[in-house]
Amino acid sequence: MSDLRKEKLQKKDKRIVKLAVEGSHGARGKDTTFRTKDSISTVSCIDELHHDDNARIGVAIENTYQMGPDKRFSVAALTDILQDVLTSYLQEERYEVEWSQKMTKTICEVIRARVKDLLIPRYKIIILVHIGQLNGQSMQMDSRCLWDTSNDTSVSYSFKNRYLYGVATVYAIYVE
Amino acid sequence: MDYYETEEDSALVSSDFKTAVEGVVGGNVYQHSRVKQWNSSVIEQCLSQLNKLGKPFKYIVNCIIMQKTGAGLQTACACFWDNSTDGCCAVKWENESMHCIVNVFGMAI
Repeated sequence: MSDLRKEKLQKKDKRIVKLAVEGSHGARGKDTTFRTKDSISTVSCIDELHHDDNARIGVAIENTYQMGPDKRFSVAALTDILQDVLTSYLQEERYEVEWSQKMTKTICEVIRARVKDLLIPRYKIIILVHIGQLNGQSMQMDSRCLWDTSNDTSVSYSFKNRYLYGVATVYAIYVE
Repeated sequence: MDYYETEEDSALVSSDFKTAVEGVVGGNVYQHSRVKQWNSSVIEQCLSQLNKLGKPFKYIVNCIIMQKTGAGLQTACACFWDNSTDGCCAVKWENESMHCIVNVFGMAI
Protein backbone atom coordinates (compact mmCIF):
# COMPACT_ATOMS: atom_id res chain seq x y z
CA MET A 1 0.00 0.00 0.00
CA SER A 2 2.69 2.49 0.99
CA ASP A 3 4.75 1.39 -2.02
CA LEU A 4 1.98 2.42 -4.31
CA ARG A 5 1.66 5.77 -2.52
CA LYS A 6 5.36 6.43 -3.01
CA GLU A 7 5.03 5.49 -6.63
CA LYS A 8 2.05 7.81 -6.99
CA LEU A 9 3.97 10.71 -5.43
CA GLN A 10 6.93 10.02 -7.68
CA LYS A 11 4.79 9.94 -10.75
CA LYS A 12 3.01 13.10 -9.71
CA ASP A 13 6.37 14.86 -9.29
CA LYS A 14 7.40 13.81 -12.75
CA ARG A 15 4.26 15.21 -14.25
CA ILE A 16 4.39 18.56 -12.50
CA VAL A 17 8.00 19.17 -13.46
CA LYS A 18 7.34 18.22 -17.06
CA LEU A 19 4.62 20.85 -17.34
CA ALA A 20 6.99 23.46 -15.97
CA VAL A 21 9.40 22.68 -18.81
CA GLU A 22 6.68 23.03 -21.38
CA GLY A 23 5.81 26.39 -19.91
CA SER A 24 9.37 27.52 -20.29
CA HIS A 25 9.41 26.42 -23.90
CA GLY A 26 6.43 28.69 -24.51
CA ALA A 27 8.28 31.60 -22.94
CA ARG A 28 11.28 30.90 -25.09
CA GLY A 29 9.19 31.34 -28.21
CA LYS A 30 8.29 34.86 -27.21
CA ASP A 31 11.71 35.95 -26.01
CA THR A 32 14.66 33.97 -27.24
CA THR A 33 17.07 35.48 -24.74
CA PHE A 34 15.13 34.01 -21.82
CA ARG A 35 17.45 31.67 -20.00
CA THR A 36 15.80 28.43 -19.16
CA LYS A 37 18.74 26.67 -17.58
CA ASP A 38 17.03 26.66 -14.18
CA SER A 39 13.93 24.88 -15.38
CA ILE A 40 16.01 22.39 -17.34
CA SER A 41 18.07 21.55 -14.29
CA THR A 42 14.84 20.91 -12.39
CA VAL A 43 13.74 18.43 -15.01
CA SER A 44 17.12 16.76 -15.07
CA CYS A 45 16.88 15.73 -11.43
CA ILE A 46 13.80 13.72 -12.25
CA ASP A 47 14.86 12.49 -15.64
CA GLU A 48 18.63 12.67 -15.92
CA LEU A 49 18.89 11.88 -19.63
CA HIS A 50 16.74 14.82 -20.72
CA HIS A 51 19.08 17.18 -22.56
CA ASP A 52 16.80 19.44 -24.53
CA ASP A 53 18.89 22.54 -24.05
CA ASN A 54 19.01 23.82 -27.64
CA ALA A 55 16.66 26.70 -28.37
CA ARG A 56 13.66 25.61 -30.37
CA ILE A 57 13.89 28.12 -33.22
CA GLY A 58 11.47 27.45 -36.08
CA VAL A 59 13.71 25.81 -38.67
CA ALA A 60 12.25 25.20 -42.09
CA ILE A 61 13.17 21.65 -43.02
CA GLU A 62 12.78 20.55 -46.58
CA ASN A 63 10.06 18.05 -47.28
CA THR A 64 11.45 14.54 -47.73
CA TYR A 65 8.35 13.22 -49.58
CA GLN A 66 8.88 9.98 -47.73
CA MET A 67 5.73 7.84 -47.64
CA GLY A 68 6.83 5.20 -45.17
CA PRO A 69 9.72 4.06 -43.02
CA ASP A 70 12.86 2.76 -44.76
CA LYS A 71 13.59 0.42 -41.90
CA ARG A 72 11.13 -1.06 -39.42
CA PHE A 73 11.69 -2.47 -35.96
CA SER A 74 12.22 -6.21 -35.78
CA VAL A 75 10.00 -7.75 -33.13
CA ALA A 76 12.52 -10.52 -32.52
CA ALA A 77 15.35 -8.06 -31.86
CA LEU A 78 13.21 -6.07 -29.43
CA THR A 79 12.10 -9.22 -27.60
CA ASP A 80 15.72 -10.27 -27.27
CA ILE A 81 16.66 -6.92 -25.77
CA LEU A 82 13.81 -7.03 -23.27
CA GLN A 83 14.51 -10.62 -22.30
CA ASP A 84 18.21 -9.99 -21.91
CA VAL A 85 17.83 -6.86 -19.79
CA LEU A 86 15.05 -8.16 -17.54
CA THR A 87 16.75 -11.49 -16.91
CA SER A 88 20.14 -10.00 -16.16
CA TYR A 89 18.78 -7.36 -13.77
CA LEU A 90 16.07 -9.34 -12.00
CA GLN A 91 17.39 -12.88 -11.78
CA GLU A 92 17.61 -14.06 -8.14
CA GLU A 93 16.57 -10.65 -6.76
CA ARG A 94 14.09 -10.03 -3.97
CA TYR A 95 11.52 -7.27 -3.99
CA GLU A 96 12.49 -4.25 -1.88
CA VAL A 97 10.89 -0.83 -2.16
CA GLU A 98 13.88 1.48 -2.72
CA TRP A 99 15.74 -1.08 -4.74
CA SER A 100 12.84 -1.68 -7.08
CA GLN A 101 12.24 2.07 -7.47
CA LYS A 102 15.80 2.51 -8.68
CA MET A 103 15.72 -0.70 -10.69
CA THR A 104 12.62 0.23 -12.71
CA LYS A 105 14.26 3.51 -13.73
CA THR A 106 17.57 1.82 -14.48
CA ILE A 107 15.98 -0.91 -16.56
CA CYS A 108 13.94 1.73 -18.46
CA GLU A 109 17.06 3.68 -19.32
CA VAL A 110 19.07 0.60 -20.28
CA ILE A 111 16.33 -0.66 -22.58
CA ARG A 112 15.93 2.79 -24.13
CA ALA A 113 19.67 3.01 -24.80
CA ARG A 114 19.74 -0.42 -26.41
CA VAL A 115 16.69 0.26 -28.57
CA LYS A 116 18.22 3.56 -29.68
CA ASP A 117 21.40 1.66 -30.59
CA LEU A 118 19.41 -0.23 -33.22
CA LEU A 119 19.57 3.13 -35.08
CA ILE A 120 16.20 2.95 -36.77
CA PRO A 121 15.37 6.47 -37.90
CA ARG A 122 12.11 8.42 -37.61
CA TYR A 123 10.75 6.41 -34.71
CA LYS A 124 9.63 7.62 -31.31
CA ILE A 125 10.18 5.10 -28.54
CA ILE A 126 8.29 4.57 -25.30
CA ILE A 127 9.40 2.05 -22.70
CA LEU A 128 7.23 1.01 -19.75
CA VAL A 129 8.64 -1.14 -16.97
CA HIS A 130 6.72 -2.57 -14.02
CA ILE A 131 8.27 -4.46 -11.12
CA GLY A 132 5.91 -5.97 -8.59
CA GLN A 133 6.00 -8.10 -5.52
CA LEU A 134 4.52 -11.59 -5.60
CA ASN A 135 1.99 -11.70 -2.82
CA GLY A 136 -0.69 -13.97 -4.13
CA GLN A 137 -2.53 -11.04 -5.70
CA SER A 138 -4.27 -11.13 -9.03
CA MET A 139 -3.80 -8.46 -11.64
CA GLN A 140 -4.51 -7.66 -15.25
CA MET A 141 -2.44 -5.39 -17.45
CA ASP A 142 -3.82 -4.25 -20.80
CA SER A 143 -2.76 -1.82 -23.42
CA ARG A 144 -4.42 -0.45 -26.52
CA CYS A 145 -3.19 2.03 -29.09
CA LEU A 146 -4.60 4.40 -31.64
CA TRP A 147 -1.90 4.40 -34.31
CA ASP A 148 -0.89 3.29 -37.77
CA THR A 149 -0.75 -0.51 -37.69
CA SER A 150 1.46 -0.79 -40.73
CA ASN A 151 4.30 1.32 -39.30
CA ASP A 152 3.99 1.19 -35.51
CA THR A 153 4.70 -1.74 -33.29
CA SER A 154 4.90 -2.82 -29.69
CA VAL A 155 6.65 -5.68 -27.91
CA SER A 156 6.20 -6.91 -24.39
CA TYR A 157 8.12 -9.34 -22.19
CA SER A 158 7.45 -10.57 -18.69
CA PHE A 159 9.82 -12.17 -16.23
CA LYS A 160 9.07 -13.93 -12.95
CA ASN A 161 11.09 -15.42 -10.13
CA ARG A 162 10.13 -16.60 -6.65
CA TYR A 163 9.79 -13.14 -5.13
CA LEU A 164 8.93 -10.68 -7.85
CA TYR A 165 7.80 -10.23 -11.42
CA GLY A 166 8.88 -7.74 -14.02
CA VAL A 167 7.06 -6.63 -17.17
CA ALA A 168 8.67 -4.48 -19.85
CA THR A 169 6.93 -3.05 -22.91
CA VAL A 170 8.38 -1.15 -25.83
CA TYR A 171 6.22 0.96 -28.18
CA ALA A 172 7.73 2.23 -31.41
CA ILE A 173 5.81 4.99 -33.17
CA TYR A 174 6.68 6.18 -36.67
CA VAL A 175 6.98 9.91 -37.18
CA GLU A 176 5.58 11.01 -40.50
CA MET B 1 2.54 21.40 -34.63
CA ASP B 2 0.19 20.82 -31.75
CA TYR B 3 1.20 20.84 -28.13
CA TYR B 4 -0.04 17.67 -26.52
CA GLU B 5 -1.48 18.92 -23.29
CA THR B 6 -1.59 22.25 -21.58
CA GLU B 7 -2.17 22.16 -17.87
CA GLU B 8 -5.93 22.58 -18.31
CA ASP B 9 -6.12 19.89 -20.95
CA SER B 10 -4.23 17.48 -18.76
CA ALA B 11 -6.54 18.13 -15.82
CA LEU B 12 -9.64 17.79 -17.98
CA VAL B 13 -8.42 14.62 -19.58
CA SER B 14 -7.45 13.08 -16.21
CA SER B 15 -10.87 13.83 -14.77
CA ASP B 16 -12.50 12.25 -17.86
CA PHE B 17 -10.42 9.14 -17.36
CA LYS B 18 -11.24 9.00 -13.65
CA THR B 19 -14.93 9.19 -14.54
CA ALA B 20 -14.45 6.40 -17.06
CA VAL B 21 -12.72 4.17 -14.52
CA GLU B 22 -15.30 4.97 -11.86
CA GLY B 23 -18.10 4.14 -14.29
CA VAL B 24 -16.68 0.75 -15.18
CA VAL B 25 -15.15 -0.43 -11.94
CA GLY B 26 -16.58 1.78 -9.20
CA GLY B 27 -18.47 0.06 -6.44
CA ASN B 28 -17.22 -3.40 -7.44
CA VAL B 29 -15.11 -5.85 -5.52
CA TYR B 30 -12.12 -7.32 -7.38
CA GLN B 31 -13.18 -10.41 -9.33
CA HIS B 32 -10.64 -12.30 -11.36
CA SER B 33 -13.25 -13.51 -13.81
CA ARG B 34 -14.40 -10.00 -14.67
CA VAL B 35 -11.14 -8.05 -14.56
CA LYS B 36 -10.28 -8.63 -18.22
CA GLN B 37 -13.61 -7.21 -19.30
CA TRP B 38 -13.19 -4.21 -16.95
CA ASN B 39 -9.76 -3.52 -18.35
CA SER B 40 -11.03 -3.57 -21.94
CA SER B 41 -13.95 -1.27 -21.09
CA VAL B 42 -11.76 1.26 -19.30
CA ILE B 43 -9.27 1.37 -22.16
CA GLU B 44 -11.96 1.58 -24.81
CA GLN B 45 -13.69 4.48 -23.08
CA CYS B 46 -10.42 6.34 -22.57
CA LEU B 47 -9.42 5.89 -26.21
CA SER B 48 -12.80 7.00 -27.52
CA GLN B 49 -12.65 10.13 -25.35
CA LEU B 50 -9.18 10.89 -26.73
CA ASN B 51 -10.41 10.28 -30.25
CA LYS B 52 -13.24 12.77 -29.71
CA LEU B 53 -10.66 15.50 -29.04
CA GLY B 54 -9.97 15.31 -32.77
CA LYS B 55 -6.29 16.21 -32.52
CA PRO B 56 -3.62 14.83 -34.89
CA PHE B 57 -2.13 12.50 -32.31
CA LYS B 58 -1.31 8.85 -31.86
CA TYR B 59 -2.34 7.53 -28.45
CA ILE B 60 -1.24 4.64 -26.26
CA VAL B 61 -3.39 3.72 -23.27
CA ASN B 62 -2.08 1.26 -20.70
CA CYS B 63 -4.28 0.06 -17.83
CA ILE B 64 -3.38 -2.02 -14.77
CA ILE B 65 -5.99 -3.37 -12.39
CA MET B 66 -4.45 -5.03 -9.37
CA GLN B 67 -6.03 -6.68 -6.37
CA LYS B 68 -5.16 -5.15 -3.00
CA THR B 69 -3.14 -7.58 -0.95
CA GLY B 70 -0.44 -5.24 0.33
CA ALA B 71 1.91 -6.18 -2.50
CA GLY B 72 4.11 -3.46 -3.89
CA LEU B 73 4.28 -2.30 -7.51
CA GLN B 74 6.74 0.11 -9.11
CA THR B 75 6.29 1.53 -12.58
CA ALA B 76 8.62 3.67 -14.63
CA CYS B 77 8.68 4.86 -18.20
CA ALA B 78 11.39 6.22 -20.45
CA CYS B 79 10.62 7.95 -23.72
CA PHE B 80 12.50 9.06 -26.78
CA TRP B 81 10.23 11.66 -28.38
CA ASP B 82 9.73 15.34 -29.06
CA ASN B 83 9.26 16.97 -25.70
CA SER B 84 7.48 20.03 -27.04
CA THR B 85 4.68 18.14 -28.76
CA ASP B 86 4.37 14.82 -26.92
CA GLY B 87 3.33 14.04 -23.40
CA CYS B 88 1.97 11.54 -20.95
CA CYS B 89 -0.55 11.42 -18.18
CA ALA B 90 -1.08 8.92 -15.34
CA VAL B 91 -4.39 8.46 -13.57
CA LYS B 92 -4.65 6.48 -10.36
CA TRP B 93 -7.84 5.20 -8.82
CA GLU B 94 -8.53 2.81 -5.98
CA ASN B 95 -11.24 1.37 -3.81
CA GLU B 96 -11.13 -1.09 -0.88
CA SER B 97 -10.34 -4.14 -3.00
CA MET B 98 -8.24 -2.96 -5.93
CA HIS B 99 -5.94 -0.41 -7.53
CA CYS B 100 -6.36 0.89 -11.05
CA ILE B 101 -3.62 2.79 -12.85
CA VAL B 102 -4.12 4.23 -16.35
CA ASN B 103 -1.12 5.57 -18.30
CA VAL B 104 -1.81 7.60 -21.40
CA PHE B 105 0.84 8.67 -23.92
CA GLY B 106 0.11 11.06 -26.77
CA MET B 107 2.45 11.68 -29.68
CA ALA B 108 1.97 14.26 -32.37
CA ILE B 109 1.92 13.09 -35.94
